[in-house]
Amino acid sequence: MATDVATLSPHDRIGEINKYDFRTKSEAVFKARKGLDADIVDQISDLKGEPAWMREFRLKSLGIFDSKPMPTWGGKFNVDFQDLYYYLKPTDRQGRSWDEVPQAIKDAFEKLGIPEAERKFLAGVKAQFESEVVYGSLKEDLAKKGVIFTDTDSAVREHPDLVREYFSTIIPPDDNKFAALNSAVWSGGSFIYVPPGVKIEFPLQAYFRINAESMGQFERTLIIVDEGAEVHYVEGCTAPMYSTESLHSAVVEIVVKRGARCRYSTIQNWANNIYNMVTKRAMAYQDATMEWIDGNLGSHLTMKYPAVYMMEPGARGEILSIAFASAGQHQDAGAKLVHCAPHTTGQIISKSISKNGGRSSYRGLVKVEHGAKHAKCKVVCDALLLDSKSRSDTYPYIEVAEQDVAVGHEASVSRIGEEQLFYLMSRGLTESEASTMIVNGFIEPLVKELPMEYAVEMNRLIQLQMEGSVG
Amino acid sequence: MSEFVKVAKVADMPDPGKLTLEVEDSVVVLFRVDGRFYCIDDVCTHDGGPLGEGRLHDHAIACPRHGAKFDIRTGQPLTMPATVPTVVHEVRVEGEDVYVRINEA
Amino acid sequence: MTALATETSFSPASVAAFLESRNEPGWLRDQRRAAWQMFGEMDWPGRRDEEWIRTDIRLFKLDKFSLPAAPEAAAAAPSSVLSEGVELAGASVSLDSWPLSSRLDRRWEEQGVLLGSLDQLVVEHGERLRPFLQRRIVNPYYDKFACLHTACWSGGHVLYVPRGVVVDQPVHMLSAMSDGRVDFGHVLVVLEDGAEATVLAETAGFGETDGGLHCGATEIMVGRGANLRFVNLQDWGKGVWHFAHQRAVVGRDASLQWTVAALGSRLAKVNQHVGLMGEGASCQVNGVLFTEGKQHLTYHTLQHHEAPHCHSDFLYKAALQDRSRTVWRGMIKVDPGAQKTDGYQRNDNLLLSDHARADSIPGLEIEADDVRCTHGSTSGKVDDELVFYAMSRGFTRREAVRMIVSGFFQQIFDRITIESVRDALGHAIAARVREYS
Repeated sequence: MATDVATLSPHDRIGEINKYDFRTKSEAVFKARKGLDADIVDQISDLKGEPAWMREFRLKSLGIFDSKPMPTWGGKFNVDFQDLYYYLKPTDRQGRSWDEVPQAIKDAFEKLGIPEAERKFLAGVKAQFESEVVYGSLKEDLAKKGVIFTDTDSAVREHPDLVREYFSTIIPPDDNKFAALNSAVWSGGSFIYVPPGVKIEFPLQAYFRINAESMGQFERTLIIVDEGAEVHYVEGCTAPMYSTESLHSAVVEIVVKRGARCRYSTIQNWANNIYNMVTKRAMAYQDATMEWIDGNLGSHLTMKYPAVYMMEPGARGEILSIAFASAGQHQDAGAKLVHCAPHTTGQIISKSISKNGGRSSYRGLVKVEHGAKHAKCKVVCDALLLDSKSRSDTYPYIEVAEQDVAVGHEASVSRIGEEQLFYLMSRGLTESEASTMIVNGFIEPLVKELPMEYAVEMNRLIQLQMEGSVG
Repeated sequence: MSEFVKVAKVADMPDPGKLTLEVEDSVVVLFRVDGRFYCIDDVCTHDGGPLGEGRLHDHAIACPRHGAKFDIRTGQPLTMPATVPTVVHEVRVEGEDVYVRINEA
Repeated sequence: MTALATETSFSPASVAAFLESRNEPGWLRDQRRAAWQMFGEMDWPGRRDEEWIRTDIRLFKLDKFSLPAAPEAAAAAPSSVLSEGVELAGASVSLDSWPLSSRLDRRWEEQGVLLGSLDQLVVEHGERLRPFLQRRIVNPYYDKFACLHTACWSGGHVLYVPRGVVVDQPVHMLSAMSDGRVDFGHVLVVLEDGAEATVLAETAGFGETDGGLHCGATEIMVGRGANLRFVNLQDWGKGVWHFAHQRAVVGRDASLQWTVAALGSRLAKVNQHVGLMGEGASCQVNGVLFTEGKQHLTYHTLQHHEAPHCHSDFLYKAALQDRSRTVWRGMIKVDPGAQKTDGYQRNDNLLLSDHARADSIPGLEIEADDVRCTHGSTSGKVDDELVFYAMSRGFTRREAVRMIVSGFFQQIFDRITIESVRDALGHAIAARVREYS
């Protein structure tokens, strides 16, 4: 039964609203078509029943997108912007039948132990999947604490003041062409608000509320961690994910207030046809800590540089990044740390692996503004080249405009040591097993920061990648 | 302390309007808004972009590179990705002429 | 305020007249004409170019300068820093982009060594030098500055050492510039197979605040099994615009030790590239930058491993005072076949004042897997504890900072195997340390 938004009160339980009901009225009017113009943007806003300010924002962003040039750096971008769908109803997203799914993907699901129910969704065969059973009881607990965890579309309708205060203030649409694109056509993504002092012990996962729309091309996520609060959010999954559309451009904005802590973990394993262009940025205030754990395994091209701006004394930013590029893949990933206040600390650890002709590039920025006294920042980049066909790049930018700092960066590129391999093989492992073990050891610092089930999946996935049977 | 240097004629500046100038060893942007003149460095503190080539709206100039906005009166950043103010230079009008004193800070 | 543009000294007519006056072989004149043509077709680099995004040259006006011309009689070059107390095999001196003097010990002449003004020697030994000047070690069309240089170079120096000749005393090249003038000198250094030499190349102004324009290029070829030590001390006046393209190609089993010390100029944009072309080639670069006032020094370096089993090691150290700024951008590029590469790169920055800014952009592009490549960068200030400790031993603050700065550069000095150069650089740096209260 359709729910009238006007009758909602702030106490309504999260997730009770079925937004598809809400949309039924206008479904008949919306016709999915390729291309990007003001008309499409208007329709998206209509379908979502958005307030005027959001519609205006989208349209203005479209203008900015049109006027901005493509970046002249990064990977090779071969997408015709007009040859894509920018919005599809969930029912339109059924890309293919189970028979059409490549055997390699089916095998991967098997080996990774993906539950039956999820396989069809991940393979793009089924339109939607909701882990209601798991999520149901969590929702109650969160609601009691005043935590808001919903999709961004709902948040715009239900918590307009809170959303409006922060939305696009951290990543304005002018920031770059892909942020402008997302700002015009965003759909889905998560909205999280954690009230002061509330510490959520278990990770919140986007996976809980998966549906074709929110796991889509242009997710827009906004996380606000109020003073003294703590939250860990996990995005993505290790299983290879299929998508009908080849361009993905997400935006994630995070505010971590005084004394608060936020960790955002991502495992990205999009199918090999996807261009994944993401802007992620967090603002950390007094004595706040922001951690990005970023795993890039899939996609044809990923360009993503999670950033932390340390705005007040005591703020801390940590970024742990892993990239695995195999045949036909280019991971152009990294991190940005900007010290804007005294006594801020930062750390970046990047591990990348290139195999079978893949290309892994680290691209990062450490900037210490004048006045950011006693800033301390350390960057370590290690790259493993597994064969002579593959490529590794490192492009770190370090700008120091303050005298009283300690800033260090080091990077190295190498292959698996022959002595190490020899040693393990003399212990009875095959070359493949030995290499896998070494690679697992190489990325261990990141894996150990992930929630258990992800860590297990991650290790299995690396095994598959190394065997060459996936990706 | 540097001296005031004549940089433009009042009549040559539209209102609102902006003009990028070389004054001594600096490149600056001169603004005229609501009858008053302002002057800031032609440098966006985010990434060194040319503020003078950006769009002026009210008392805010937006850098064409990533959209960072600055208050032309105070040099303060108004939006991300800028977080540091740009340098402000003193402006004086005497009769038909506009003078700027470069802030050595 | 900007001066109104008057008739430029670099008009097609004046450049044509300049070329006519030079009396050079036809192939060289053609090369110049082609470059002048390209100069006209290109734009000056702008802030949107990745390479110039951190180096603002809007205040640079070519119109303020004139083409090189013969100086008045009885002009003398300033005293040299690098050659003091050194027994030289020979020397070549230019002033305001015009050859001034040159000499070479007879015993080297007899062995076929050439040293002196490139302008003169390219006429006398054109066929010998032609292949090297046509080899495009530096790309003559890299940017508008390269085109300008290739068209108008003058007052250059050349050292040519034939096969197997070991020149066991250093040669000196001095390029001097008067206030407001230009230096478009082209430096060519060629060591044939098995040759050895040491070159001390120096640039200097007369007055500390002198202005001018340097638009130069340096081409170095180190042949198979040859060994070159090349020292470049840049000490232009603080008002000089300094644009330079420098490239060396190192052959099989050859080695190059290249020391760069940059002290002067108002704004420098220097590309320093080394191509390791033959198996077993090696190159060590030692870079010292020491800036003050509002100086802006940009160095872009490249270690390009085109062959396997090569070794490159670049160390750049910069100390910054006042409101100065350095931009160091380095790249180690390893081609797919360049297995067993050893590539190292490091940049350390010492910020001596609160308003200085150091940009450090090390880079790696690796396409071979059996390699060892690392880079590192540090930025920080003088350790206050060390200063207090020195002061407690009776040194003044300035003396303490001077010692610490020397200590900072010590690692570079230790890598320089020419004692006179170590001493000269050490003195030059110590003299520049400012007093900060």
